[in-house]
Amino acid sequence: MIRKRKSYLIAFLFILPSLLGIAVFYIVPYIICIIKSMYIGNSFVGLANYAELFRSNTFLLALKNTGIFTLIAIPLLMLISFVLALFLNSFKKISSFFRSSFLIPVVVPIASLICVWQVIFDDYGAINAVLNSLGFDAVSFFNSGFSMVMIILIYIWKYCGFCVILFTAGLANIPTSLYESAKLDGASSFQIVRKITIPMITPTTFFVFLMEIIYSFKIFREVFALFGDYPNENIYFLQNFINNNYYNLNYSRLSSASVILSVFIIIVLLVFFLFERKRNFSE
Amino acid sequence: MKKIKLTFKYTLLVFIALVFLFPVIYMLACSFMSSGEVNRMLDFTNGKYRSLSLIPQMFSLEQYYQVFFRRPEYLLKFWNSVIITFPTVLGQVVVSSLAAFAFGKLHFPFRDKLFFVYIILLILPLQVTLVPNYIVLDNLNLLNNFLAVILPGTFSAFGVCLLRQSIKYIFDSSIEAALIDGASYFKIFTKIILPQIKGGLITLTLLCFIDNWNVVEQPLIYFKDSGMYPLSIGLSDISNSDYGIIFACGVMFMIPPMLIYFYGQSDIDFPFVQIDK
Repeated sequence: MIRKRKSYLIAFLFILPSLLGIAVFYIVPYIICIIKSMYIGNSFVGLANYAELFRSNTFLLALKNTGIFTLIAIPLLMLISFVLALFLNSFKKISSFFRSSFLIPVVVPIASLICVWQVIFDDYGAINAVLNSLGFDAVSFFNSGFSMVMIILIYIWKYCGFCVILFTAGLANIPTSLYESAKLDGASSFQIVRKITIPMITPTTFFVFLMEIIYSFKIFREVFALFGDYPNENIYFLQNFINNNYYNLNYSRLSSASVILSVFIIIVLLVFFLFERKRNFSE
Repeated sequence: MKKIKLTFKYTLLVFIALVFLFPVIYMLACSFMSSGEVNRMLDFTNGKYRSLSLIPQMFSLEQYYQVFFRRPEYLLKFWNSVIITFPTVLGQVVVSSLAAFAFGKLHFPFRDKLFFVYIILLILPLQVTLVPNYIVLDNLNLLNNFLAVILPGTFSAFGVCLLRQSIKYIFDSSIEAALIDGASYFKIFTKIILPQIKGGLITLTLLCFIDNWNVVEQPLIYFKDSGMYPLSIGLSDISNSDYGIIFACGVMFMIPPMLIYFYGQSDIDFPFVQIDK
């Protein structure tokens, strides 16, 4: 590291543009948001807005759905992409065609694919045609508990390849000598994965986790494009709640919901941090 | 035996690749169908199972003809997307690489605490600051202006976090040597840092481009004039009414991010996943 008293000023100059923008467009708005969440109109009400939110059924529904989505989709995506990455890694050489095909879903814009999802998931769509020919009952993806399944499937389809590429990049950094000596000692491949691969790629895992959280909030765009403002109750997420209150101009409610959403995320993040620290892999 | 195993593995690999590619291939195929055929396929009320035919009954450029010559509003929306996305990407790459250099290689008080704030901002979803941002933009008199979407996009924390990670892998010794030779910090930044993080810069360009190309929420809220909406919003509209051109529009919308991806493909790397020193 370069240490010099004078360099403080220079470092500050380098950061200034970014810091200024971040302050104006992120930090100040967020502080306004926290303040607004404690007001109704112009009168200070403390935490009353929050208390009211937790009595609102719509809000609780949105919170529940967001929780279910986060708890199921994120670990599932992590598991699937890790297994796929191990599978890819088992090839000696792989053509860049496959790498590209994995990244294509991230590159393709959401709105382009809406019609394709409709043809696939419709009551009379491709999946139901297959189910029907196998003798199962049709599943209504657009209007039942299966809506959540559909959204999770789309989420996994879209970001799985990206996470796989991240994981393979992480796997490539593990020294092969570790595997070789483990093999000499007679370790099974399951033991190798558990004792060498997983601990060694923890920094990658952490980054993948971060990206998955960021992207899990963007899945709202698919929900919005498929269902509009009012999706069925199984996939009514916190983002829908915030968006709808925006149109109702209910700012105080909106702000407190936003604060709760961010607290929710920070808790998830802290849990992961603690988990990482407990296993002694932190920096 | 080994050969059978290898064949099996390759079959599985091709199958997985197809799962990822299928919706895109399907969309491409459908863009060459006539509007009548698309309408029949997307008519969800006739109670018959949809057939996923990949080959158009009759190859037709009707959809593209409609988009390019009959319906200029979609080209205009496409242009709006360009106006929003290009300055955002350019701005973000410049601003974040400057800040990332300071976070990664220079020393100043509260550096790590400040960076932690950036990480938290990185994770906060857009909806949280959407409305307060509206108030700020209103005060800056930027509503109903493309800058209302461009500026917040430019100063996202994402680029700083990503590039800082690339910069951390550059050896301090090369910077120290340059300092001894009397190079200024700005010269070090342009001559030593930037050439070495090319992969990171391209990765950021791609990810940032995709993100802003798909922008939906901000224009809906910040623009009163729907003529300023980008194609990402236009496409969700079409899917409710104008089946005839939806696939052609989708393909057109898909091309710019694809071009960037294929251009930078060999340089794209994910430096942030290397094991921390």
